[in-house]
Amino acid sequence: MTLRRIGTFVGQHAVLVALAIMFSLPFFFMLLQSVMPLDQAKTTDLWPRYFEWGNYSEVFRRIPLAIYVRNTLMVCVIAVIGTVVSCVPVAYAFSHMRWKGRGVVFILILSTMMLPFQVLFVSQYQIFSSLGWLNTILPLTIPAFFADAFSIFLLRQFFLTLPEETLDAARVDGAGEWKVLWRVVAPMAKPGIMAVAIFQFLFSWSDFFGANIYLSDENNLTLAVGLVRLNTAAARLGESNLTMAAAVIFVIPLIIIFFFAQRIFIEGVTLTGSKG
Amino acid sequence: MLSPWLVGFVIFTAYPIINSFYWSFTVKRYGAAARWVGLENYQLLFGNDDLLKALRNTAYLALIGLPIRIGVAMLCAALLARPRRGNGIYRLLFYVPAVVPAVASGALFFFLLREGGPVSSLFGLFGAEAPLWFGDPSWAKPALIMVGTWAIGDLMLIFLAGLVDIPRSLYEAAELDGAGRWAKFRHVTLPMISPVTFFALLTGMIGVLQSFDQAFVFSQGVRSGRLTGEPDGSLLTYAMLQLRQFQDGRIGFASAMAWIMFLITLVITIVMITTRRRWVHTANEGFI
Repeated sequence: MTLRRIGTFVGQHAVLVALAIMFSLPFFFMLLQSVMPLDQAKTTDLWPRYFEWGNYSEVFRRIPLAIYVRNTLMVCVIAVIGTVVSCVPVAYAFSHMRWKGRGVVFILILSTMMLPFQVLFVSQYQIFSSLGWLNTILPLTIPAFFADAFSIFLLRQFFLTLPEETLDAARVDGAGEWKVLWRVVAPMAKPGIMAVAIFQFLFSWSDFFGANIYLSDENNLTLAVGLVRLNTAAARLGESNLTMAAAVIFVIPLIIIFFFAQRIFIEGVTLTGSKG
Repeated sequence: MLSPWLVGFVIFTAYPIINSFYWSFTVKRYGAAARWVGLENYQLLFGNDDLLKALRNTAYLALIGLPIRIGVAMLCAALLARPRRGNGIYRLLFYVPAVVPAVASGALFFFLLREGGPVSSLFGLFGAEAPLWFGDPSWAKPALIMVGTWAIGDLMLIFLAGLVDIPRSLYEAAELDGAGRWAKFRHVTLPMISPVTFFALLTGMIGVLQSFDQAFVFSQGVRSGRLTGEPDGSLLTYAMLQLRQFQDGRIGFASAMAWIMFLITLVITIVMITTRRRWVHTANEGFI
C-alpha cells in the first residue's frame, strides 16, 4: 500500500465513522435511556448512574410480548409475500412490455399514491366491515396481494435500468413473457426486489394506525399497538426508561433483519459485474 | 400480469376514491349520512388563512428539504455501494434512524436542541448564541429539515439498490477513455440511476405533502410550553391541517382538502413526467 492509498483509506473511514456516529445517535440514546433507573430517567442525564436491566423484565411483565411478536411476524411475512408476488409482474408489464394505454394507466397508478391515506381509509373500513374481516389480520394482509402503487413504481424504475437486449435475447430463444420475467428480470433485479420487501416488512412491522383500528382482541394485537399502549401508560408516570426499553425490543428484530437483507446488495454487484 | 393490481384497484382504491370525491361536496361525519352542500367546502377552504400557511410551509420543505435529503442519501449510498470490509456495519448504522420509533428520536432531539443542551453549548464554544430551535419560527423549519435529512435510510437503500445494478463494464469503459472520478460519477452513475432519482423525487414530494410526524413532534414541543411561546401555526403543514379535520370528524371538509392537494400534486407530477425525457435515461425509450 502506498502512502497515498493509506491516506485515502484513513480519510474515507474517518468520514464514514463520523457519519455512522451521527446517524446512529438516537439508537444509542435509546439504549442508554432504556437501562437508566427510574429517578434518573426523569432528569436530563445522558449516561446511566448504573445499569438497570430490570427495565426489560418489567416490559416483559407488562405486555404479552410472545403473542404480539407472533402476530406481528405473521402479518409481516404474509404481507411481504403478497407484495412481491403481486408487484413484480405488474411492474414488469409497465417496464418491458408494450401495450396500448400503458402510459395513461401508469399515471392512474401513480395518482393513487397522491391521495392521503385517510381519504381511502373511511371507505375501506366500511368494505372490510361488511366482509366480516374486522378483528382479523385479513385487512392488514390481503390488500398486499393486490399490488400497491409505491412498490409497483419502485420496482418498475429498477426494471427500467435493465438492458432490453438481454431480455430480447431470451425472447428470441423462445421464452414467453412469464419466463423472461422469472428467469431473466427477477434475478437481475434482486436488489430492487429486496428493497421493496424490506420496505413492506418495515411498514407492516411498524403499522400502528391500521393494526389499532382493525384489531381489538388482545390475542390478535401486534407489537406496534403494544408499544404505543405501553408508552401511553408509561408516559403518564414519566417512565421514559420503560418506553425506551420497549422501543429497543421493538427495533432489534428490524436491525437484525436489515443486516442480513442488505447482504444481497453485495451479491447484486458480483452478479451484474460478471455479466458485464 | 396486471390482474392483481386491477382487482385490488377497483375494490380497495377506486371505490374509496370515488366516495371521497362525492364526500368533498357534502357535510359528512363518522357513522352519519352525507348531506350535499355543493361547493361550500371548497369556498371555505380558499377563504382560509390556514390553508395558505400550510401550503407555504409544505412548499418550503419540498423545495429546500427534499433536494438536500436526496443529495445526502445519494452521497451515502455512493460511499457504501462498493463491496468493502465493514460496509455492512456502516449501512446498518446509517439506516438506523429509519427504524427507530418517533418517540425515541423525538426525545433525542429535544435533549440535543433544548436551551442549555449540547448543541447550544457547542454554539457557545464558538462564542455564538444558539437559536431557539423550537421557539423561533425562522429556525423551526431549518431544524425540521435537519431532522429530516438525518432520517434518510429508506432513500439511501433505494439508491444503494440502484447503484449496485450498474454494470461495472461501463466504468471500465469510462476509465479507458481517461475519465476521472467526477467524470465517471457525472457521465455513468448519474444517468444510470436517473430512473431511481426520478422515483425518489416524485415519492419524496408526495411524502412531504403527506407526512406530518416530524412537524407534529416539533409543534407539539411548541405547544406543550416546554419551549418558548410561538403560535403553533408556524409549522403547520398541509398534512397536519388534514389530520386535524379528520380528528374533528369533518370528513367532507377533509376530503375537499385532499382533492385540492391531489390536483396540485398531479399537476407537478405531470410536469415532472413531461420534462423527464431531458434528464432521465432509460434502457427502453419511448414512454413514461
